[in-house]
Amino acid sequence: MEKEMIKSPDTGDSCIHVKHSSGLDIYICEMPGFSSVEALFGTKYGSVNTMFKMREDKEYTVVPEGIAHFLEHKLFENEDCDVFELYAKTGASGNAFTSFDKTCYLFSCSKNYQESLKILLDFVQKPYFTQATVDKEQGIIGQEIKMTNDNPDWRVFFNMLRCMYHNHPVKIDIAGTVESIAQIDADLLYKCYYTFYNLNNMVLSIAGNISADEVLRICDECLKPCDDKGLETVFPDEPDDIVMPEFIETQAVGTPIFNIGYKCRPCTGMERLKKSMAATIAASLLTDASSDMYKKLMDEGLINSNFGMEVFDGDGYFTVIFGGESSDSAKVRDAIAGEVDRMTREGISEKDFQRIKKSTYGLLVRELNNVESVANLLINSHMDGVGPYDAINVLSHLESADVVNFIKDELVREHMVMSVIEGEAE
Amino acid sequence: MPMRYKRTELAGNIGFSTVIDEKFKTSYIVVRFITPLDSEKAAANALGISILNCSNSRYRTLAELNEKLSSLYGAGLSSFSRKRGDVQILGLSASWLNNCYAFDGEDLTAEMLEMVRECLFAPNADGSSFDADSFRITRKDLLDRIDSELNNKRGYALSRAAEIAFRGEPAENSCYGTKEAAEKVTSEEAYAAYRDILSKAQVEVFYVSAEEEPAVEKMISESFGSVERSPEPVQFRSKSPLRSEPVTESDELDVNQCKMVMTFKSDSDDQFAMKMLNMIYGATPVSKLFFNVREKMSLCYYCASRVYSEKGALMVDSGVERENIEKAKAEILHQLDEIRQGNFTDDEMQSALLSLDNALTQVGDTPASYSSWYFERFCDGNIIAPEQQFDGFANVTKARIVQAANSLSLDSIYLMLDKEAAE
Repeated sequence: MEKEMIKSPDTGDSCIHVKHSSGLDIYICEMPGFSSVEALFGTKYGSVNTMFKMREDKEYTVVPEGIAHFLEHKLFENEDCDVFELYAKTGASGNAFTSFDKTCYLFSCSKNYQESLKILLDFVQKPYFTQATVDKEQGIIGQEIKMTNDNPDWRVFFNMLRCMYHNHPVKIDIAGTVESIAQIDADLLYKCYYTFYNLNNMVLSIAGNISADEVLRICDECLKPCDDKGLETVFPDEPDDIVMPEFIETQAVGTPIFNIGYKCRPCTGMERLKKSMAATIAASLLTDASSDMYKKLMDEGLINSNFGMEVFDGDGYFTVIFGGESSDSAKVRDAIAGEVDRMTREGISEKDFQRIKKSTYGLLVRELNNVESVANLLINSHMDGVGPYDAINVLSHLESADVVNFIKDELVREHMVMSVIEGEAE
Repeated sequence: MPMRYKRTELAGNIGFSTVIDEKFKTSYIVVRFITPLDSEKAAANALGISILNCSNSRYRTLAELNEKLSSLYGAGLSSFSRKRGDVQILGLSASWLNNCYAFDGEDLTAEMLEMVRECLFAPNADGSSFDADSFRITRKDLLDRIDSELNNKRGYALSRAAEIAFRGEPAENSCYGTKEAAEKVTSEEAYAAYRDILSKAQVEVFYVSAEEEPAVEKMISESFGSVERSPEPVQFRSKSPLRSEPVTESDELDVNQCKMVMTFKSDSDDQFAMKMLNMIYGATPVSKLFFNVREKMSLCYYCASRVYSEKGALMVDSGVERENIEKAKAEILHQLDEIRQGNFTDDEMQSALLSLDNALTQVGDTPASYSSWYFERFCDGNIIAPEQQFDGFANVTKARIVQAANSLSLDSIYLMLDKEAAE
């Protein structure tokens, strides 16, 4: 077991990283004074991982869309009871989620964390499903898919991704479709489970009112050693260009909403973190309420205070997204494109850059002030291939030239798309 | 050092509470104005307060104000309007990093206290109306917020259910007022509403930080010292009368999943028992509604209960397919009957208690949850620490839960139906 202390040179915060003999990466952050505990046990297996093989396999396996999410639902059932029933005995609040690139099982509590941690480690390592339970779940997930289809924020986001990506599975809905999940059976679920739920592909993060020694003692007791089977995931080739520049859908909404995005080139590890920081500053400058563009759009009534941005990136995809509510999204898109052109020509003000940098630093420090966000930070940074405190450090070394270069290289008009959800005409 | 909570009353009936807890990296202040929810005034009140974080007499535009906030390491400043029973709660909150994290040595606390003071007491106004640009931006935001309520179908269904269940009472109204009312409010009326709130609303101020800061109390005291205060009483709790016959109302919308909200009303004053009942009935993933209606019978994707003790109401909201509506309704009622007949185990009570215990112990982990906790207790008229409230839950007997369940009667049902299937 290898154990290291990781310390932030910028804030003084620290955590422990352990490479456990079972193969699992464990991150522990003791947070004196806090009462709660947040733990996440996750696998690098999300909705985008639809094609994979092990070292000894000759061929890649291709699985139906939505299977990672389906598996998450099924793992919540033991042979004799539901996982919620186990947590009910400790008082912890248990949950799980599947995102594009990970599936996580989590609990939060303030008492009996030791017992809850045992439950978490145990059930995730103990799959149990039958064809009958799989069939029943298809009905429940079918309802979930219907419900998310009524969520305009979700629809506008996926419609935007479908405008951008030809082949990359980031464009598929995390839960799949009613048709795709109909292809899932118990055997396929076991295959995915034994491929991705290998401890060498997983991470445990735990933060709050805990003792690192106690956490490690429970891990020693509960983790079953796994051989690293050399998992490989691949994605179909994805060209740089977009599929279509815009998509408009009609739904029951009170205000029209938009997602306007740039498709950028993906990268990994530290390179991705640096690019993501530059992208964050660039997009913050574009949505900054003190910018001329923001003032103009506000004056013309084309945006409201919901106008915002997000850098959305992962394995094989990288996008910068602007979202909000507008009666004329095309004008907002044109204004963003115009401002990007101006920044490409004229550069950015050093004063504004330093101000936005400070503001971004403030957000990152705030993240360390909350048990839940610390636990999430620990697991996310590991899965992204960087250290937990690297973001603050990368930010502190970022220069305005890095941001200008990002704008010039990546915010390309031809790679810009717009997705809109409009209300029904009355 | 353990956290320290203190509440004092300043001149002009201003409640001033501090929570000092050295673990926090940020400081937080919230000034809440409490006023009766009135359909005539709700929109003007919402505008009169929400404009305060758009500009002030020093930072005269949204751009200037935001530029200042981002230079203060992304300090947060927001205004809000919300409903609690028959009461409208409006206010301004701010949050900023502790000075030790400001790498250029700025005094963030002093800067932000000044910012809050200027926003609250020196708005960008000429003495009779707000600055025209700030007013236009704020009103558009409010109108968009009212319109966009429909974008969140679950939230919209709950609002419609409240409208039906509390018809004729202040609680039927939105805390933003209606679109029609908001469209008509002038800058002068919003300014008059703001002045009215400053003098007539009850005020509760909370400051949560790692260390004591006497400047906060001084700022609040001095600033309110220049306001002639005559606070009006508000009724934090007013039970909603039960209908003689339950009613069902529905909307048809372009949705894939239907929603059903069932409102029950009670005349019970046993709030501890009602909250324990809620946990057992539908507030956890091992509750009767989740376990039976969702998991066992697959009738709803979600099915949960929540208590509105300020109105003596309990709502069960669910996402359901059209063909399952009647079956789901029957099962939701059946599960309540089970509790009425005492068909729940000691384990179910114990797990409800454990869940509440965990939630109560977590109250102190964020500045905002500290402030919400003590504010809610202020509204309840009994300011107690979370562990004291736990004792109240621990003393609830099975018989009291059965009694609470028997006090509930179905009042109304709201259905959001899918349009195409309706045709």
